[in-house]
Amino acid sequence: MMLAVPIALPLLAGAVLPAFRWKRKAARNAYVLGMTVLASLLLAWALAAPSQEPVELLRFTSRLTVSLKADGLGRLFAVLIAVLWPLTTLYALEYMQGEAKQDSFFAFFLMSYGVTLGIALSANLLTLYLFYELLSLSTLPLVMHGGSGASVQAGLKYLYYSLGGAAFAFIGLVYLVYFGGTTDFAYGGLFTQVDIRHSAQLRLGYLLCFLGFSVKAAVFPLHGWLPTASVAPTPVTALLHAVAVVKSGVFAIIRITYFSFGAALLQGSYAQHIPLALAAFTIVYGCAMAFRERHLKRRLAYSTVSNLSYILFGALLLTPQGLAAGLMHLVFHALMKITLFLAAGVYMVKAQADDVRDLRGLGRSMGLTSGVFVLGSLAMTGIPPLIGFISKWSLGVSAVTLGGALPVAGLVALLISAVLTGAYLMTPSFTLYTARRAEGAGEPEPLGLPMRITLLALAAAMVVLSFYNQPLLDFLTRTASGLM
Amino acid sequence: MDGLLMITSVLLPIVSALMLMRMPWLNESRRDRCTFVGAVLLLECIVVALVAIEPQRSVVLFKMTEQLPIALRSDGTSRVFSIVMALMWANSGFFSFRYMAHEKNEQSYYAFYLLALGSLMALTLSGTMVTMYLFFELTTFLSVPMVLHTRTKEAIAAGIKYLIYSIAGATMGLLGIFFLTPNLSSPYFVEGGALMAGSLNIPHEALLAIIFVTLVGFGTKAGMFPMHGWLPTAHPVAPAPASAVLSGVITKAGVLCIFRMLFYVIGPDFIRGTWVQTALLGCSAVTVFMGSMLALREKVLKKRLAYSSISQVSYVLCGLYLLDTMAFDGALLQIVVHALTKDALFLCAGAIIFTTGITRVDEMYGLGKRMPWTMWLFTICSISLIGIPPLGGFIAKWYIAEGALASTVPVALFNWLVPTVLLISALLTAGYLLPPSITAFFDLRTEGECLVPQVRAKPTALLVVPIVILTVAIVVIGVNPSPMIDAFNRLAATLF
Repeated sequence: MMLAVPIALPLLAGAVLPAFRWKRKAARNAYVLGMTVLASLLLAWALAAPSQEPVELLRFTSRLTVSLKADGLGRLFAVLIAVLWPLTTLYALEYMQGEAKQDSFFAFFLMSYGVTLGIALSANLLTLYLFYELLSLSTLPLVMHGGSGASVQAGLKYLYYSLGGAAFAFIGLVYLVYFGGTTDFAYGGLFTQVDIRHSAQLRLGYLLCFLGFSVKAAVFPLHGWLPTASVAPTPVTALLHAVAVVKSGVFAIIRITYFSFGAALLQGSYAQHIPLALAAFTIVYGCAMAFRERHLKRRLAYSTVSNLSYILFGALLLTPQGLAAGLMHLVFHALMKITLFLAAGVYMVKAQADDVRDLRGLGRSMGLTSGVFVLGSLAMTGIPPLIGFISKWSLGVSAVTLGGALPVAGLVALLISAVLTGAYLMTPSFTLYTARRAEGAGEPEPLGLPMRITLLALAAAMVVLSFYNQPLLDFLTRTASGLM
Repeated sequence: MDGLLMITSVLLPIVSALMLMRMPWLNESRRDRCTFVGAVLLLECIVVALVAIEPQRSVVLFKMTEQLPIALRSDGTSRVFSIVMALMWANSGFFSFRYMAHEKNEQSYYAFYLLALGSLMALTLSGTMVTMYLFFELTTFLSVPMVLHTRTKEAIAAGIKYLIYSIAGATMGLLGIFFLTPNLSSPYFVEGGALMAGSLNIPHEALLAIIFVTLVGFGTKAGMFPMHGWLPTAHPVAPAPASAVLSGVITKAGVLCIFRMLFYVIGPDFIRGTWVQTALLGCSAVTVFMGSMLALREKVLKKRLAYSSISQVSYVLCGLYLLDTMAFDGALLQIVVHALTKDALFLCAGAIIFTTGITRVDEMYGLGKRMPWTMWLFTICSISLIGIPPLGGFIAKWYIAEGALASTVPVALFNWLVPTVLLISALLTAGYLLPPSITAFFDLRTEGECLVPQVRAKPTALLVVPIVILTVAIVVIGVNPSPMIDAFNRLAATLF
């Protein structure tokens, strides 16, 4: 039951938060941060426990249960979330100063943490589906937080896309229960027999399921909600729309591909080729759109669209090597993109710079932020020896090792995207330092301690992982081979 | 520790640059700053010389992952490139001390000047493809600020163009690195190539196409057609001493990468006689011709010199792609001589700008009288670049042409085409480099008829001596090339 505790704690803590009617903001902030950290610690404690049997929480029928399990993939995602959530919360405490409706914001922010952990630790597709829907609902108020017309529009768009996607995924779920008899996750899938009798139907089911989950994973043409949703406050954009929500989509796709339907069923069929082609196209498409976009946060959002498909591309190669590379990018991209978004948020609130052009000349007056932004840009572009290069390299090598037309086309897509990434991230980095600040723009405000700590911690994590990553890579390789 | 000197040669300029950025006491006066930078540049030359004296060695710095080592390696190739680069850098650095007096932001200029040197040294000493890719990108990033230096709209546009072209080129290179890596017997550079041609995991033809893309990609920095577009935009907008190293030295970074890929990864035998060799020879011959034609049309002196670089660096590539020992010697000699000559010519252009403010060729009336030293040196270097004996340029081109006649190229046409293109290009070079001298010395209109340049500032020794040193070197190489040729032959023996 220990696994349920870190999920339940933030859910409850968030739900009761508005009831306290906080008089002092400091107390509320301490409560939010304390609960988040506590949940992370509880997760660490639960994962350290020796017994890793699935925990059954609810039983609808003998086939349909809500249960939790912590296997390699789940641990990876859960730990990633548990590290990034407290950091972003810390940042949010400073960022949200002066915003209205803070209590409700932090309530939903906390609850989303629990829900995301639920996705990570789901033991079967039904549980995952349940938390997946909950995530759409719990993050909706965060997107709409601004309250302006644009925010509400963005929220509704997000809601329609998410619900539509989930409906598709539900069809896949039905296929799975009908033919497989269970929704439990098992490495290799439920259909490992040599003679797969219903392969035609199952492949169709997989494709529907893939399309459904690919809404959150922002695969073209289902990506439309993500750039629009960047009207949300930056901590939300950074954590939910670069890590938690979108990677839940990716995570779900990896789950159904490797743990439900199984790679053997899909290998070489249209159910592999169509998703692979979509991912390869999205990689280039996202970058091209990011290049055209001048609003900094939307540019980063399009960059996320592209990078999520890197992960999917690796996973959809359907080799352990490809999956390991995809997972590596899942971790590294989370780190890089959250850093970039948080830096972008600092520019927004401290220097009123929403647009790429507003960044001009901020390099000196905002030294720390700009340094971190440039480091993140370099890593994202894939300059060795930074983390972005390592994961892109692994993706490329996996594609080359597998061979074939689509993987190679995907590799070319990766490289084109690397050039575009360089173009859309390095040019702002340069204008930070080279151009002059526009006339009449005020001096930026100094950063508070929480923002400083967050940015420095993320930058340090990037650098450390660039040089010391072997244990992580070993873990990923074993996870991808089904040994964890 | 093994390889300490190599690491020092990389870190010395980088650490000094950081000191220059962070320590105000180094920037109290121009004199302090210049003394510091000058000392670092000289020290760097000594360290590079010591690395060159050391026996050949390689060091693994660290491993990104088990399959991705970052390694340094000093060998014959790195010696040639690092010595040329460090000396050119020092020379232009000393020229800057006077020249930069009329520019702003000197502190950042010198800082990036040193940073770029550090990354170039690392590039020459790279021991694996990924290390090379890393420092190739880094060199781009660290040299962009030199292009951006004046901060004008034009400069920023040029800098961004340079950046995007370079990243695109590097990425094309990375494509090849991806496909070559699984087919190599070792991740490290190996003389003569490490490609296991017998057991490729992709079709032979496909690999050839990929190699073509890779070499074209690395050719971006060398200004090779079809990726040359950035060069004439980016080089002239930098301050003159920076243009000198961008054109004379950084273009050689592209050559170095091609060199390493050809002789240390792929191996000359793999592409000898294939369509890839033909195509690359074709591209570089086109570039030689095109660069000269464009230079002929250009009236602004620094832009003309930039077009000339496009042409002249492709002489080197032509020589390398012939895959012939003699042409190989010629190519290496051309690397050295072109670096010296183009450096000197850009510095002359800089001296003219500094003292008179003249930028266009057709404004140089009577300059021979006002600045006799500079114009004489300009003329001598021009003659070398055209390829008139007994100067350095002649020897290099002679070897390349003779190598072309002797080599076994897949399409026999190239045996004749390459020397012909070289000849035509030599004529064109004369056509675009001699008119400035002719105008300067012989077109002495009287003051009433036209604007005779007024000397704004006296050219001091710092504006002349670096050019004199370069010119002397060109003459010495021209008169006595055999020690260098012997060294290149020894290198060639290990590679072919």
